[in-house]
Amino acid sequence: MKISAGLPTGVSAALFDSARRRRRLEARLSALLEERGFAEVLLPILDYFEPYRPLLTGRRLEQLYRFVDRDGQLLVLRGDFTPMLARLLAPHLDELELPLRLYYRGDVVRHQPLRPGRMREYSQLGAELLGGDEAEADEQMLTLFFDLLLEARGEAPAVVDGEEHALRVVLGVAGALDEALLAAAGEHEASDLALRIASRDRIAARRAGLAEVVERGYPTDLSVLGGTGEAVFELLALRDRLSSAYRDAAVEIEVDLAEFAAAALDPRIGVGSGPRGYYDGLMFAAYAPGTALALGVGGRYDRVFRSLSGDCSAVGFSFGLDLLLELGAAEARS
Amino acid sequence: MITVGLPKGRNLGPARAALAAAGLNLDGLDSSRLRQRFPDQDLLGTPVEVLLLKDWDLPLYVEHGIVDCAIVGSDVLEETQPDVFRPLQLKGGRSRLSLIAETPELPKRSGQLRAATRYPTWAARLLAARNLHVEVIHLTSSIELGPLLDLTDVAVDIVQTGGTLRAHDLHEVEVLAAVAPTFVVNRASFHAHRRRLSGLLGGLEETETGGD
Repeated sequence: MKISAGLPTGVSAALFDSARRRRRLEARLSALLEERGFAEVLLPILDYFEPYRPLLTGRRLEQLYRFVDRDGQLLVLRGDFTPMLARLLAPHLDELELPLRLYYRGDVVRHQPLRPGRMREYSQLGAELLGGDEAEADEQMLTLFFDLLLEARGEAPAVVDGEEHALRVVLGVAGALDEALLAAAGEHEASDLALRIASRDRIAARRAGLAEVVERGYPTDLSVLGGTGEAVFELLALRDRLSSAYRDAAVEIEVDLAEFAAAALDPRIGVGSGPRGYYDGLMFAAYAPGTALALGVGGRYDRVFRSLSGDCSAVGFSFGLDLLLELGAAEARS
Repeated sequence: MITVGLPKGRNLGPARAALAAAGLNLDGLDSSRLRQRFPDQDLLGTPVEVLLLKDWDLPLYVEHGIVDCAIVGSDVLEETQPDVFRPLQLKGGRSRLSLIAETPELPKRSGQLRAATRYPTWAARLLAARNLHVEVIHLTSSIELGPLLDLTDVAVDIVQTGGTLRAHDLHEVEVLAAVAPTFVVNRASFHAHRRRLSGLLGGLEETETGGD
């Protein structure tokens, strides 16, 4: 049972079975994370606003609930776990033994337009891997991402009533299209072109010479991507390895550079640009049939630590717990 | 099953024509029925279901994944700003959003102008971009009555042929934006049906009545 009547817009209370189901899911996912050597962190719901100015800009900064405390301090309610964790850990990197495996769960609040399935307060569960070899860390975290998704889904069949029910994970590299976009549209128009390609605009993509990117996810000739072609080549190899490993698990994995076209183009926007703003390398998102939003998103965000004067590779992801619960409910219905 | 949402009203004809030209023939579509299956039509082996919905409701159904893809007026998309993919616009059924007044020029007022429109958010955005900060009055129909009955100084509304304007002796002061039926796709459905939709979109793009 969920109640939202009588509460501020975009929040709800989970009672009885709703509360039990969420806690059970959290427990199952937490157990898997602990088993893989991840340690839980408990982060505060309140923080100062100032540290987030260099970390979050644009839309993410506007989404923060902020207020002046009685002692005159400008505070924010927790809107994201990752930057908070990064800002707390960055000054202590020298004292920490890397790689560091951490996970968290809890609510975040963001003032955002109400859309289907999108609340202003929602529960997240996420994990971060700091330090270590980047390529190995990327693969480890993607594997963990898949395993948590499969744990949340349970034993859902791959085909229900003749319909495919595979989970779909989309891989990309932030900034992979930047050189091609700048070459096609110039500095002033490239951001707009990136947004159109992220929206799968076929005409804009064709005019930019990136038709294949919206049609099949990446160009046959990776050299059109310039300096990022190598990273995409490695990503395709990673996709093949993961596809092979999850062949029997009804998980479809595809490389789709258009999905993340607008992620890194404009360095002036800082680490908070775009819908998945602070990622600067590998990016990924998971979708399920019949869901309105991505179940989870993640990626590499070394730039966040660099902007905090720390030098640490970092990759992580988060899931929307309510969306994962829908996945379980869909399984029960099927 | 792929569920295609089609709009009731002015965009239905161009939408059907474009889909037919791209190979998805919906002959026998009954415009009085909400939900119809077309067992003879399929996209790469997947049956097609059509939902006929109001233009203004379609983005919500697509965003929520109840409808996999749909053809919706870009005017509705600009006003509602749904989080959906917009792969292409159709050539047929195009129109324009215009600033309309009783005079050929924008009326001179000492105070703030008032504009009647069914697109309060989009109109305010477009007018602000032209340094016109007007008071926007939201009407749901017969927008031209705003200036005619002195509720407002101007109207911001869709113009197709200009017939309504001529009939009421109104003037199209300025075209603010182009409007076109737009093919939209739910994010999750795009990934689930990528190959199937890609074929349909390719067909739409190539046809005379298709995308531009």
